[in-house]
Amino acid sequence: MEGVARVLRSGALGVDVGSALNLVAAVLKYLAAAFLLPAAVAVGYREPVWPFLAAGAVTAATGLLVERGTQDKERVGPREGFLVVALIWLAVPAFGALPYLFADEPQLARPVDAYFEAMSGFTATGATLLTDIESLDRSLALWRQFTQWLGGMGIVVLAVAVLPRLRVGGRQLFQSELAGPTELERLTATIRETARRLWVLYVGLTLVAIAVLTAYGWTGADDAMGLYDATAHAFSTLAIGGFSTREDSMAAFAPVTQWTIVVFLLLAGINFLRLYLVLVRGKVRAVARDDEFRLYLAFAAAGSALLLVELLAGDSSHGEEAVREAVFQAVSIMTTAGFATADYTAWSPLAGLTLLVLMFLGASAGSTGGSIKVVRHLLMFRIIRRELEQTVHREAVVPVRLNTTVVEDRALRGVVTFIVLYIGLFALGALGLLVDAKRVAVEVGAFEALGAAAACLGNVGPAFGFAGPFGSYEPFSDLSTGVLTGLMWLGRLEIIPVAVLLTRGYWRA
Amino acid sequence: MSAAADRLRRLVGVDVGAALNLVGALVRYLSLAFLLPIGVALWYSEPVAPFLLAGGIVAAAGLGLEHVTQGKERVGPREGFLVVALTWLFAAAAGALPYLFADEPQLGGPVNAYFESMSGFTTTGASVLTDIEALDRSLLLWRQFTQWLGGMGIIVLALAVLPRLRVGGRQLMESELPGPELEPLAASIRETARRLWTVYVALTALEIVVLSLLAWTGADESMSFFDAVAHAFTTMPTGGFSTQGESIGAFGPATQWTVVAFMALAGSNFVLMYRTLVRRTPRAYARDEEFRLYGALLVLGSAIVLVELLHVGLESGEEAVRHAVFQATSLMTTTGYASVDFNEWTAVAPLAVMVLVALMFVGGSAASTAGSIKVVRHVLIGKILRRELDQTLHPEVVQPVRLNRRTVDERTLRAVIGFVLLYVGIFVLGAILLVVEATRVGVTVTPFEAIAASATTLGNVGPALGFAGPIGSFEPFSDLSKGIMIALMWIGRLELVPVVVLFTRAYWRA
Amino acid sequence: MQIIVVGAGQVGTTIVEALHDDHDVTVVDVDGARLQALSYRYDVRTVNGNGATRRVLQDAGVAEAVLTIACTSRDEINLVTAMLAKNLSDTKTIVRTSNPEYLEVWRERQIDVDFMVSSELETAHAVSRTIGVPAAKQTDVFADGQVQIVEFDVPRRGSGADELTGVPLTEAAERAAARPLSGGYEHVVGLPLRDARIPEDSKVAAIIRAERMLVPRGDQSIMPGDRIVVIGSPDAARTWSRIMARGEHAVDDVVIYGAGATGLAIARVLLDQRIRVRLVEPREERAREVAEELPDARVYCATGVDPDFIERERIGQARAAVFAMREDAKNLYAATLARVHGVGFTIAIVHEPISIEVFERAGIDVAVNPRSVTAEEIVRFAHDPRIRQLAMLEGDRFEILDITVRETSKLVHRPFRELPMTGSLIGAIVRDGSAIFPHGEDQLEPGDRAIIFTESSRVPEVEKAL
Repeated sequence: MEGVARVLRSGALGVDVGSALNLVAAVLKYLAAAFLLPAAVAVGYREPVWPFLAAGAVTAATGLLVERGTQDKERVGPREGFLVVALIWLAVPAFGALPYLFADEPQLARPVDAYFEAMSGFTATGATLLTDIESLDRSLALWRQFTQWLGGMGIVVLAVAVLPRLRVGGRQLFQSELAGPTELERLTATIRETARRLWVLYVGLTLVAIAVLTAYGWTGADDAMGLYDATAHAFSTLAIGGFSTREDSMAAFAPVTQWTIVVFLLLAGINFLRLYLVLVRGKVRAVARDDEFRLYLAFAAAGSALLLVELLAGDSSHGEEAVREAVFQAVSIMTTAGFATADYTAWSPLAGLTLLVLMFLGASAGSTGGSIKVVRHLLMFRIIRRELEQTVHREAVVPVRLNTTVVEDRALRGVVTFIVLYIGLFALGALGLLVDAKRVAVEVGAFEALGAAAACLGNVGPAFGFAGPFGSYEPFSDLSTGVLTGLMWLGRLEIIPVAVLLTRGYWRA
Repeated sequence: MSAAADRLRRLVGVDVGAALNLVGALVRYLSLAFLLPIGVALWYSEPVAPFLLAGGIVAAAGLGLEHVTQGKERVGPREGFLVVALTWLFAAAAGALPYLFADEPQLGGPVNAYFESMSGFTTTGASVLTDIEALDRSLLLWRQFTQWLGGMGIIVLALAVLPRLRVGGRQLMESELPGPELEPLAASIRETARRLWTVYVALTALEIVVLSLLAWTGADESMSFFDAVAHAFTTMPTGGFSTQGESIGAFGPATQWTVVAFMALAGSNFVLMYRTLVRRTPRAYARDEEFRLYGALLVLGSAIVLVELLHVGLESGEEAVRHAVFQATSLMTTTGYASVDFNEWTAVAPLAVMVLVALMFVGGSAASTAGSIKVVRHVLIGKILRRELDQTLHPEVVQPVRLNRRTVDERTLRAVIGFVLLYVGIFVLGAILLVVEATRVGVTVTPFEAIAASATTLGNVGPALGFAGPIGSFEPFSDLSKGIMIALMWIGRLELVPVVVLFTRAYWRA
Repeated sequence: MQIIVVGAGQVGTTIVEALHDDHDVTVVDVDGARLQALSYRYDVRTVNGNGATRRVLQDAGVAEAVLTIACTSRDEINLVTAMLAKNLSDTKTIVRTSNPEYLEVWRERQIDVDFMVSSELETAHAVSRTIGVPAAKQTDVFADGQVQIVEFDVPRRGSGADELTGVPLTEAAERAAARPLSGGYEHVVGLPLRDARIPEDSKVAAIIRAERMLVPRGDQSIMPGDRIVVIGSPDAARTWSRIMARGEHAVDDVVIYGAGATGLAIARVLLDQRIRVRLVEPREERAREVAEELPDARVYCATGVDPDFIERERIGQARAAVFAMREDAKNLYAATLARVHGVGFTIAIVHEPISIEVFERAGIDVAVNPRSVTAEEIVRFAHDPRIRQLAMLEGDRFEILDITVRETSKLVHRPFRELPMTGSLIGAIVRDGSAIFPHGEDQLEPGDRAIIFTESSRVPEVEKAL
């Protein structure tokens, strides 16, 4: 005992785990409120309400208990921030999985499966273990969509917007959760206001999407669409999640709906901080002149074109249908949503490889998309160009710029670190999946393993083979599911906050 | 006219004339290399004409180029990149001439011949031949010999032998020699080049002796003196060409184990090896961080493949161990030999194949004859990542990255990162282009096969998967695909930067 | 005794103050005003001029001088002064230097100076002693560093301020000095050597007690207050310093502000004791340099007075902090800030004597003045040049011999146990490039290099025997 005290006193442990836990608990406490939405839906459709109520009660109780059990220091340091974010993203899916367990849903009866589904939800991945989605209760299906919506813009960002105690020290939490490497561009003076405006924009866009989609249903432009489906898909579109209430994803809906989804996916893939400037302040230039935005559109166009060539060469579809299928798949995979209007697993190798590469592009920084993100590709390209230039001109000083502002060397090194870690984790994940598949004798080819690892790490969702857009991750073993869950978690937090926890320097004083 | 030329000269910051002059000189000396196959052809009473003709043309072209650009003898560091890149293009072209003149039907097209020659000089070992044994012996040996010449580097050889290159030689050598930075082995660059070639020649001779002994003592009946020489020529440069359709699988276990040992040697640092041999300090190996990881990865790769092989019941006993170790060593050191057709494992043992493809990205040690990313870069990347993570938390910490207790320059570190990112980028681009092209001409290439083909040519390994597997041939690829792969081999052999730099505007501008 | 002191700065003044009562002191300096001030205070002869010139030295009476102390602030002047003095007479010379390189060269006997003192190193040792870890003075290295000869001051139990070369100012310093001793200390000190748990691969070569020096036998024991000479492997040397450390690693984590020459020397000494060291240095290039030089230390490029930094890096959790920046005011500010953030023990390097008082008022625990520390070391040597430093012992009463064993030697192939006990000790043998620390069963073989610690009078005897 004295030894432990001594270690603590002598500074062997440099992280205040207590206050980190305290903050996690505070966030959990408020998560309980999220269960009210599916509960209401359940009441509306006369489905059992108690799974949501019980889940809400358990969440709230745990949050309160842990909060009381740990001391409240009011302020967490930058060091604890990493721990807080990592723990929140582990804990929230755990509690989000409770309704699946309580509802006695046979497809998600085991905790591992339920946790995978919840993690896939909150990280806005969209990979599913369900083999028959439409057999789910409507309330449960909506909860599934809702988890994506909650996770899309970020739980911590929401917490910063709402919780008063996070006002101080929230900035660092905020940055470890918000996607992308760019320094937070402040819209207003306070971090809290920024978080609020992000959420206002997010909610606003979601409402617009619901309205538009519902209108299609009412006007008869799309017979398959109703208010329920409109809401469910608006949730997972703006979050760039990819969950659907339908077995065949967006293929169940009319072309006009599919085009609409493409537009909203593209919107959701833009940097929200910039989108706010355009939509609310009317500063169109903020986006139009943005290097990242241009490259983002170029990538989307190039991906679509490649797929279109492939579709036309393969003679599988023609005209508008071919264009729509190519554009939809390219945008959906690139922005890391994971919706599908066609079973691309049946397409030829070129499409497969193109889609695999698109999985690594991702959307813009500060959007709700996952993966590497366009701005990092842009910066990486510029870093390499600078390297080459300095090989020839050894003394040249070449600052790397983004939209005329010079990017600090430290930020550049962060970009490089992220990319290298990303590639490393991807390779490791794919190997892990293959090893495990071998162990339990599941048929997984090398390419399928690469696809699954890329899809989960990039928070895309569907992969290739049996885990394709209309398939399910169900055939994977428990261990593989665990690995994939880990990849989703790592990918959503952009690796570094988690990787930092694994260094010895983090825990030492 | 002269005003326009003057303006152009002021605009272009590279002295192309001087570069070409040096390239001409280098190519001229390359004609001497044809003497070896001529000798062999005489011995086996095979036609000598192709080699004589090729030698004549190469000498004439070199002299001509040198003459045209006369008077500009001095190459600066900037021209160095151009010299290296062009020399390798010309050398491959020169090496392709005998294939064309010999009227060999499998290599009749210029693209095929150029592919085979580039694959030779870059020590890749990818072949478009479908029936290797049908070739004349002299032609076969030339094929092996191109790998041996390219292994330690044409320019390194020139530095060792030619007096003229001493000026500006260091930079040329650094562009050609594998690895991120040249550790000085001797005071002068020329002496360094000589020592490297001494080790290289000595090891090759040793392997010839060992393999011949195996043949003479009857330990391996299928081995002959010709095969011993031919395979020693392709083991030491981690090349991978064989005189047999079945590669090393055609020989006995004793030969296979011997080849494994020499491949592992060829993939280790030659500078370190020279020091060890001369100063008798074997501890230097044990202390070298790169060598430790190199050994560890070899063992690890072999182990995973072995477990997988035993698990699916493909092989058993000594055979399983041998095949696992052989394949892992061959692909990691980027040699590309095969003791068994591992392409057949793809369906039954995808893990083993995946590991083999992953090993293609590891490569040998710096200053070895191996290609790919190289172990030392992996070591440094690991250290850089660890430091980055540490600095995320402690932004003020100052931490130099150390390799073998010596601090590594920040500039070198950035170059390493640049290299790795560029490598991955070019690899992905190559894979996509290959699939696009395959789709265009209707050749069936799966994405994974395309990935393997891109990795294998960029890493100078040799065999890929599918029809281009170890026993197969790259022949079914279209001409354009072959062109892409020729470029990948060329870029990979020169470690990207000297070639890629040529495509930047900054290089050409004054 | 005639003593010449070249340089009348802080160091010189302190030396003069200590020596003027018992000796005839002549002070040389270029600054006449300083000399005048000095001569008003102490009864010394003064010579105005550059000490590194023959004429001035002759004026100062170098011919009769027994000891010449060159302690100006410039290394090269000091060295030239000492060389000239040696040429002009057979005086012994002491040189003050701030360059560790010179110190190293001197240890290898490439510089003909009798004693060399480095302010930085002495300061580092003083800090180290203050923290409670007496630093080993490594005096010689053989066989590429595989054999070390190291000196230790054996700490007294609970001794007070007299052990601390720095000026202890507060209770905390007293407490630091009075911490209980353990960590192997009681198994070594006070016991007959044959029962003591001497670290493996090492031998006690000599014990210096009350100005006398003895080659130890099994029945003798190391006593507190002794100075001992140990011969052994680098690992053993480290174990020894841990044994000699007072308290069971009372301090295992030290933050040093300022990575100048002094800060670097302190860091090096502490790292040798396996203490975790963190250095804070604002200049980017210097930080990089130091980080390259000390792989085991953690170096921050920061001013160190940013509260965010202090909190993030948990500076407050360090057991002690040393402030070795160039300006006293900065040191005071940083030290006070560190105390506010919870550092329990603060040591400041002071440059102006007056600062000591200020620091005391501010609550800094210990102030170390490099100049007075240097002066003290010089004075100690001046009082009795013979026994203070091992370097002096050699060639006088004791010598360290490095002999290759001949084939014809009578001692070859005999177990060490059976070798005759004389006044010499075979500390280590180097065979095939690696060091062996012999035990009773080991034997000498032809071609071995034996490293022998012996009385000077026995040198011919030893040479003959081997």
